[in-house]
Amino acid sequence: MKEFRFKIIIVLAAVALSIYLLYPTYQDYQNTKFLTAALDSKRNELKKEFPNLPKDKIEQMVTLTEDSIKVADPSIIDARKKRIKLGLDLQGGMRVVLEVNTAKLLEKIANNPDDVFKKVIADVQKEAAITDESVVDIMGREFQKRNIRLSRYYGTIRQDDSEIISELKKSSEDAVNRAMEIIRNRVDQYGVSEPSISRQGSRRIIVELPGVAKEEEAKQLLQGTALLEFRLVKDAEFTFPIMQRIDDVLAKRTKSGVIDSLDKDVTSTENIEKTDTTAANDTTKQLSEEEFKAQHPFFSAAVLNPQSSYADAYVSQEDKNKIEYWLTLPEVQKVIPDNVEFVFSAKPINSQDGKKIFVLYLVNKTPELTGGVITDAQANLDPNTSAPIVNMEMNSEGATEWARITGANVGKRLAIMLDGVVFTAPNIKGKIPGGRSQIEGSANLDEAKLLEIVLKAGALPAPVDVIEQRIVGPSLGQDSVSSGFNSALFGYLLVGLFMIIYYRQAGTIASLALVLVLLFILGVLAGFNATLTLPGIAGIVLTIGMAVDANVLIFERIREEMATGKTMRASVDSGFSRAYSAIIDSNITTFFTGVILYQFGTGPVQGFALTLMIGIATSLFGALVITKLMMDYLVAKGAKISIG
Amino acid sequence: MRIFHNLNVDFLGKRRFFYLLSLVLFLIGIINIASRGLVFGIDFKGGAEIVLQFEKQINIAQIRANVENIGLGNVEVRTFGGETGVLIRTEMQDIPADVYPKVVNNIEEDIKNIIPGVNFNEVERTNNSITYSFPNPDTTNLVIDQLGSLGFQTSKVSEELNNKQMNVRVAISDWIKINLKDKFKDNPFTVLKEDKVGPKVGEELKRDAVIAVLLSLVVILIYLGFRFKLVFAVAAVVALFHDVLITLGLYAALYGVIPGLNLDIDLTIVAAFLTLVGYSINDTVIVFDRVRENLKIHKTQSLYEIMNKSINQTMSRTIITSFTTLLAVFVLLLFGGDVLRAFAFTLLFGIVIGTYSSIFVASAFVLDYAERSKKKVQFS
Repeated sequence: MKEFRFKIIIVLAAVALSIYLLYPTYQDYQNTKFLTAALDSKRNELKKEFPNLPKDKIEQMVTLTEDSIKVADPSIIDARKKRIKLGLDLQGGMRVVLEVNTAKLLEKIANNPDDVFKKVIADVQKEAAITDESVVDIMGREFQKRNIRLSRYYGTIRQDDSEIISELKKSSEDAVNRAMEIIRNRVDQYGVSEPSISRQGSRRIIVELPGVAKEEEAKQLLQGTALLEFRLVKDAEFTFPIMQRIDDVLAKRTKSGVIDSLDKDVTSTENIEKTDTTAANDTTKQLSEEEFKAQHPFFSAAVLNPQSSYADAYVSQEDKNKIEYWLTLPEVQKVIPDNVEFVFSAKPINSQDGKKIFVLYLVNKTPELTGGVITDAQANLDPNTSAPIVNMEMNSEGATEWARITGANVGKRLAIMLDGVVFTAPNIKGKIPGGRSQIEGSANLDEAKLLEIVLKAGALPAPVDVIEQRIVGPSLGQDSVSSGFNSALFGYLLVGLFMIIYYRQAGTIASLALVLVLLFILGVLAGFNATLTLPGIAGIVLTIGMAVDANVLIFERIREEMATGKTMRASVDSGFSRAYSAIIDSNITTFFTGVILYQFGTGPVQGFALTLMIGIATSLFGALVITKLMMDYLVAKGAKISIG
Repeated sequence: MRIFHNLNVDFLGKRRFFYLLSLVLFLIGIINIASRGLVFGIDFKGGAEIVLQFEKQINIAQIRANVENIGLGNVEVRTFGGETGVLIRTEMQDIPADVYPKVVNNIEEDIKNIIPGVNFNEVERTNNSITYSFPNPDTTNLVIDQLGSLGFQTSKVSEELNNKQMNVRVAISDWIKINLKDKFKDNPFTVLKEDKVGPKVGEELKRDAVIAVLLSLVVILIYLGFRFKLVFAVAAVVALFHDVLITLGLYAALYGVIPGLNLDIDLTIVAAFLTLVGYSINDTVIVFDRVRENLKIHKTQSLYEIMNKSINQTMSRTIITSFTTLLAVFVLLLFGGDVLRAFAFTLLFGIVIGTYSSIFVASAFVLDYAERSKKKVQFS
């Protein structure tokens, strides 16, 4: 049996790998059941306890409970990341296709647009509505038709049309990037789990928001104008006492018996080293972690760095909701002065132990300056130090203000904020006259590029139009999942039964191999982090019907070979080898159409194409390796396989 | 168990009859497409679509009567899923200007019921939403909450604590909901699905779908031309054209004829057609593969004999492979739910016609071409 050892190992390894890849999906299914039950009981409990509490407050508390359960057991989040993702059509949610209105943007950046220009732009817009061609190209053509040079409206008089066109193309490309970044920033702050923001073609953005079914909220998220602000960061002498007061208020609150929904559930997962470095720790001597948490709830979640001269608090992703909730409490609001507020950084930094850490800043409520004054921003490498920098230019009005602000606040930090979150808070080194400034401190060029986009966002809002929008309610998704699974089950039973009746033992072997093929399909889906959609399930059901085709070809061939009087062993051998060409040729053509479908389709249809392709590949493995192995093994042992 | 064992039928001798049959099917299809037209779904046509799920059984005619005369132009109403679901489709994406104030009236009435005696002001209107301002944040939150539970889509204008403004969506589905809510008080409903597609997306999709189907035919042509002979590849693609066009014709012929079967052409249907192209080539390849093999073995026999023999030899596997796939597709048709029903139907019919064409169209085409061009077809 040595000859089979290698093949057996391969098949067993494939089975083991698939089970390993699918285990998180199973785990996540169990977790979800548990979480839903826990949260429902929490919700009912809260409703009973505080009948007058508005709905969003209750939801906020429930979210906190959810977060705390997740923090207590990191495997929940881990399993969720590794499971087979369900498409929007299966779990409910919203899918929006946005298009950046380039024509409007071009109109906005034109110098002295006159009536002729407006007419041309109107024509361009009409034409752009029916093609995917670059709007800049269309405009170039329209102007050429009318014998008008582009330099009349764009660039300088010395530039020729092609130069201006390439510049305009760059700005329209920028506009799409900007719109994507603004949307990503908002969606991140909004807290949708597993959002997907992707680009399609030259100027479209596809946003998928699982679980969001309220169009009004999504619109706010996707289409509102971005607000870029420069706000002064308060220094440590100002910030620290406020944080201490908040800490006191929260500690008293805990003592007096008001227990946040989450303190009941949180087990001691807080990082001990982290609390050790807390500035507050100096005054509290050695306390056990539990005691420290009870006496200093705020500082145990918002950690200060005692070595730093800034009072920036570091908050792990798990605690962010909790801190946000605390900051909205009226008694906490009372100890925060009216003219300042706490804001978070837009993106988390990764700590050494792999945690995502957000920075909490205390900033002035009134901005020193807003983004409208910025005329340009450019990410670059500093020619001297080759460190990434961002150069920023302002219009004359902004430059005057900027000189005054920077002059009066040398040594202080200025937070650059987009839609209420901080992207960076650079130190003001000196008075900047003329509005040309350089921002240092980006970790790499990508980060600098992001800052460039952010800085331009306030100046040149890219208008976006919703061109497609789909909302799937969660219950439809549930129904679809169960009907899909029933179809797969019945499909398998019918096809398997037919194979056993028609091909007897050989058919039984094929039916067994088919189970493994289904396991592999799901395993590959999980391994590739692919998304399962309703048509995707249809693809799996279809694969069940198609997977045995290869077996049918082989078995028919074996029957023919046996009819010529060959032995079982010889018939099996030549049956497989002679059926080979037909199997390969027919499957490759189907695979090609799968590839084309994947290219052409979007969303659910892509899911179908994907399962179709995976199905073809795995069913070939099933027929040519697994079935062959089982038959060869039985034949070698001298068993006679009935083939009907 | 065996079917078609030692089959010996002169299929190719009857090819004139099958040409005629195909031609008739083809003409029926073309005539139906020309006269009845193909009905495109929202994916291709643009418009708005909303699916409601009622708690109890509904009378579709009653809903239709209620929705048809509320100023939304051409409205299509039909059942969705079981007997409690209803699908409503309009060709517009945004609510018409003359209906807009009626929806606003309803919203304002509801707000007055929620906070009797409190003053509120309209701040802004866009073509699909309206913004109100209230005296204080608590009232605002209350209205957002209550109006939201009445079925309207509401949101805060900003996340600031002292936010006093509320956005309310004013969309076609809101108007439909307002109209149905009062009429069906004892049978409440939830919104299952809500789609809105701009007309532009549709035009592009139509073009892309045609390109995708043509591209897959070209790829098959090249691959089979490379693996067999060009004439085989051309024959296979001709058979595929035949399959796709006849299936499309069936779409036009059966539209609206079978209750519960929605034959609007949407993205999933295009996927079904592409799968059809990819799958129905399989049977053709099985026959051609045998022809290739037999041509190598029996060099002296005529092409006519060899092809007939090959078709007879492969008949059982052609039928069985199609049959197993049909079993799976049949299950999808029965249990796959409303969304997949048309998909499964397309494949069901497509596989049958594809199996037919790979025997009677593709092989016959190769034979006729070879006889006419007097060229000898052989594989080395």
